Amino acid sequence: MKGSRVAKRYARALLGLSEDRNQLETWAAELERLARIADAPEIALRLASPEVSHEARIEAMAKIAERLELSYPLRSLAVVVARHGRIADLTAVSQSYQDQLDVLLGRARATLTFAREPDAQDTEAVVRGLEAVVRKTVIATVKVDQALLGGVVAELEGKIYDGSLATRLSEAQRRLVG
Amino acid sequence: MKRNAIAIKLSVILSTGAVLLMPVAACCAEAGSEPTGGGSWLSLLFYVVNFALFIWILVHFAGAPVLKFFADRADAINETNARAEAALTEAQNLANRSAECMSRLGAEKKQLRADLDAETAYMANRIRELARETALRIVRDTELTGQAITEAAQRRVRALLAEATGRRARELMVKSFTPDDQTRLLRGFEEKLAQEARR
Repeated sequence: MKGSRVAKRYARALLGLSEDRNQLETWAAELERLARIADAPEIALRLASPEVSHEARIEAMAKIAERLELSYPLRSLAVVVARHGRIADLTAVSQSYQDQLDVLLGRARATLTFAREPDAQDTEAVVRGLEAVVRKTVIATVKVDQALLGGVVAELEGKIYDGSLATRLSEAQRRLVG
Repeated sequence: MKRNAIAIKLSVILSTGAVLLMPVAACCAEAGSEPTGGGSWLSLLFYVVNFALFIWILVHFAGAPVLKFFADRADAINETNARAEAALTEAQNLANRSAECMSRLGAEKKQLRADLDAETAYMANRIRELARETALRIVRDTELTGQAITEAAQRRVRALLAEATGRRARELMVKSFTPDDQTRLLRGFEEKLAQEARR
């Protein structure tokens, strides 16, 4: 909970650095890359080791940011996060940044789980339907799960829209049992 | 204590008497030396005085204790007598009461038997009622249990049927599911989303 609050603060601070939407998107991608690297088990373990001094940790984060060719604010963020011992919270910062950016840009993220690999037309149609429901731009992540038998399940803003055959079958079974 | 005092007084009296009678023995011895039929009036007077003195001493020293002894003895006897009479009276009363009780015993026995008969009849009725109620309750419970078992069995059968049907339906769907079916489902889903959006 505390980590989540801290992550929100870092994300808000980063968002406040620029008003250029394209730049914000770039920073989101860079932050995600940085978080993924810092969260990789072999790096995370070394950075968290008590044998590594505080200065060495800061230096390591600066080098990682440099190698990833991140923009200047992200490099600064990497150093600041290391200086305050919040490297483990980078993933949460990235997630929070993404959420806040979505809110700022009027977007929503949805997870679409299809029973079969969908074509672009089907995905687009479902996304359009979801956009009509939430009246926001929907960015979809597509998954495939054959256990659904048929149809699609969409998860958007904590709500599930279930159009799968498996669920219909389960409901029919429940009705049969009474 | 009292007996000891009396014994002391008696011994004093007897000792005094013995001392006083010593001159009598001497006089008698002297008289015995004289020829037969030669008694004197002086000797008789001496005997009389001596005897009177003896009686006076006896009465003076032993009279009161002896009288007290006999009075105490009389009191004790009277008291014992009174106690014996009281005990006799009490025994007679008890005997009378016992006789009364014995005479009442028959009636009480009859009453007791009647009470016992009434109590037994009441208890028998109560047991009969309880047995009837218990039997009815058992029947009711059995009916309810039977219904519950039947319903549970029906539910189980329905669940088994539903499961089997679902399994079979799933197999059929997997086997015969076509892209057209998927398209139809997606269109249905889109329609559902459109309805949601219109709300």
